Amino acid sequence: MNYALKRILQLIPILIGITFLSFAMMRLAGSDVVQELYSNRGTEVAQEVIDAKRAELGLDQPFLTQYVNWFVNMLHGDMGNSYVSGSPVFTTFINKLPATLILTVMSIILTVVISIPLGILSAVRHDRFTDLLLRFCSFIGNAMPNFFVGMLLMQLLSIKLNLLPVIATGVNFRSALMPALTLAISMSAKYMRQVRATVLEELNKPYVQGAKARGVTDRVILWKNVMKSSLLTIVTLLALSIGSLLGGTAIIESIFMWDGVGKLAVDSIEMRDYPIILAYVMWMAIIYVIVNLITDLLYHQLDPRIRLGVTKG
Amino acid sequence: MKLKKITAFAAGTVLAAGLFAGCGSGTADTAAESTSAVSSAESAAETEETEETASTGTKTLVIGDTTFNASNEEADVNPHNTYAGWACIRYGIGETLIKYSDEMEIEPWLATEWENTDENTWVITLRDGVTFSSGRAMDAEAVKECLEHLIEVHDRAASDLKIESIEADGQVLTITTSEPKPALLNYLGDPYGCIIDVEAGFDDGIVAGTGPYIAEDLLTDDHLDLVKNENYWGGEPKIDQITIKTITDGNTLANALQSGEVQAAYGMAYESYPLFENDNYQFSQIATSRCFFTKMNFDEGSVCSDPAVRKAIAMGIDKESFVDVLLEGNGFAANGVFPDGFAFGGDQVTTETYDPEAAMKVLEDAGWVDEDGDGIREKDGQKLEITWVTYPSRQELPLLAESAQATLKDIGIDVEVNSTADHNEVVKDQSKWDVYAMANVACPTGDPEYWFTVFAVTDAARNHGGYSSEKLDELEAEMSKTFDVDKRAELAIEMQQTILDDNAFIFCSFLKMSMISQSNVSNYTSHACDYYQITADLDIEL
Repeated sequence: MNYALKRILQLIPILIGITFLSFAMMRLAGSDVVQELYSNRGTEVAQEVIDAKRAELGLDQPFLTQYVNWFVNMLHGDMGNSYVSGSPVFTTFINKLPATLILTVMSIILTVVISIPLGILSAVRHDRFTDLLLRFCSFIGNAMPNFFVGMLLMQLLSIKLNLLPVIATGVNFRSALMPALTLAISMSAKYMRQVRATVLEELNKPYVQGAKARGVTDRVILWKNVMKSSLLTIVTLLALSIGSLLGGTAIIESIFMWDGVGKLAVDSIEMRDYPIILAYVMWMAIIYVIVNLITDLLYHQLDPRIRLGVTKG
Repeated sequence: MKLKKITAFAAGTVLAAGLFAGCGSGTADTAAESTSAVSSAESAAETEETEETASTGTKTLVIGDTTFNASNEEADVNPHNTYAGWACIRYGIGETLIKYSDEMEIEPWLATEWENTDENTWVITLRDGVTFSSGRAMDAEAVKECLEHLIEVHDRAASDLKIESIEADGQVLTITTSEPKPALLNYLGDPYGCIIDVEAGFDDGIVAGTGPYIAEDLLTDDHLDLVKNENYWGGEPKIDQITIKTITDGNTLANALQSGEVQAAYGMAYESYPLFENDNYQFSQIATSRCFFTKMNFDEGSVCSDPAVRKAIAMGIDKESFVDVLLEGNGFAANGVFPDGFAFGGDQVTTETYDPEAAMKVLEDAGWVDEDGDGIREKDGQKLEITWVTYPSRQELPLLAESAQATLKDIGIDVEVNSTADHNEVVKDQSKWDVYAMANVACPTGDPEYWFTVFAVTDAARNHGGYSSEKLDELEAEMSKTFDVDKRAELAIEMQQTILDDNAFIFCSFLKMSMISQSNVSNYTSHACDYYQITADLDIEL
């Protein structure tokens, strides 16, 4: 418990550090939200109008003052308003989270359902036709970028078969299926190979030979021993993926009009919408710290060696 | 094990089928295949829609739009909020006092007539029998409240209109400006000038206008639901419900139109056009005044301060090829500031045409000669190199830079392209650029004065190149006091010719705007001003 608390306390310097860095980097990128807004329209406005807008948003103040103001307000629970939409950052962000969470959960479930059985099958059928076919599919899946897979699925499932909608009709299962499948195909292609490699490695270990010699059935060896040992690798991979999925997948969200935090982040970066960017950066830091913490705790449960090591230390 | 095998094959098949399904998309070879796919999907979608319509008895239309979003300052449909008036007027919610014809001349709309009683006073008569969707009658008092609210909250409108006071009497509105404002009516046709019932409020960015459709539900960056205005003064709108669906990605918009989820599309990427060039779809295209042009740097440190260099650059840019090849015909080569069709646009001014031989002669006569044989000319030890600053957010601009880089190299000018999102900062320092290429709507209100006061007169805010012409400044001073429309057009022509003769700006092309819809949609028509997308005449045949 102390360990978990320590890790969570570490979040504080991390958050200060990364919000400051993001703030500084956005300044280095040049331009600001007022310029971006007016240049997007392609019509010209008087300099006084631009200056007034800047002053209204506090962009005319020195860099450090802007950061300190933001930080102090944040400590008071006020994350400010979006420069672009004018809506409160916190509500904007919270409103987009369910979509990202649903997409994350669905794509992880799909990935697990596709990649683990197929990875095991591939390992068990080592170098036979099934293995070769699956490896070929995984190769193709790895080679195709996400957005391309998304476009192919749209062509197939929406335009040719008319099964699923191209554009999301809200945060619902039917609309989430295609973006989740897109993410799952790309992730499964990678996972399948990892699962296959891990399972193969375990299968070649002496304890498997020993078990076989003792007459333990293949099924028991595979599910009771090999899978248990392979879980560590799979959990590590999943933790990494969950982290990045919770940060949103901007391209997939944009393509399918799935209104999550990834799209929000990219739009905000383009528009130099500092308050939203900072909220996003904080969110990312929090997820990574928490997901890593959960993974470490899971390790303790799954791997007695780690557990014992910690006890000894 | 059998089950696993089946799963393996199923997963493999999904991947493989996905791969093969997409192989043909976008290639000319399989156009026939994709067309048939399109029609089958479309007919399926249409059948679905017809069934739905038959069961509910309502006529519906969904329009996909890539521009209706907060990043484009259209977070809602409230005309008093930044540029959201564009959505208000485009989607048939609000109407302005005047409207623009396709020649960008002003015509009566909510105002039926107007006159100047003196330089600062306008008396405007409003149309009878018009009501807001809130039920309130549109009279001078309502318009006064609306305009007063507008100039109070909308800085750009206040700075354009210069309204000092407004008086209301029945259907007669009297506006007094703080300085002579010959183009006041033109400005009142800007989308911010949509007449709304301010008493009805601005809940969630929704307003009560006088247009054929009423905004019912809005979620920023997602959708806008409209229902027909049963009491519309201009006749009964033909469609019961319209949804505007915000779509960010151009390819998704193309897919959604193919699958039938949207029946009309605005803001499609050029590369998707071939998918719709068949009998199942129709295009409505028009030249807009969105112009791609370059400014020259007149600072002494820039080679562009040499008139011969400016002239050679003007002769060295192949506008026709740029439009035909790089823009794939989705534009029109430009002559001056304003496109063809305007009373003061198109061929009414003359400028240099693409002529590399003549351009080389101009440079040679001015002493720019390639002495070291590296293909780039020199004069007094200085290489003829120009820095071309532009920005990537308009897809056409980097293409223009590359096109110019290639053709100018042929005449011995080396072009270094700097395409940066930070262009606004870069061009403030005149030592960092020679040519600045940008995109701008040259004539958003149908009045020519705006462009010159923003870009070309000596003290213009966006005259980055430091161009100064006494003649132009005098003509502008005259225009600012001229109320006669024909005289203003004459002045606009003379002013354009002045800047073209100095080669202070090069106007390369105008954007051709396209709106695409299924063939059963009628009157989904593009306009030169890009404002009136949904009208009472818009219809869908079931």
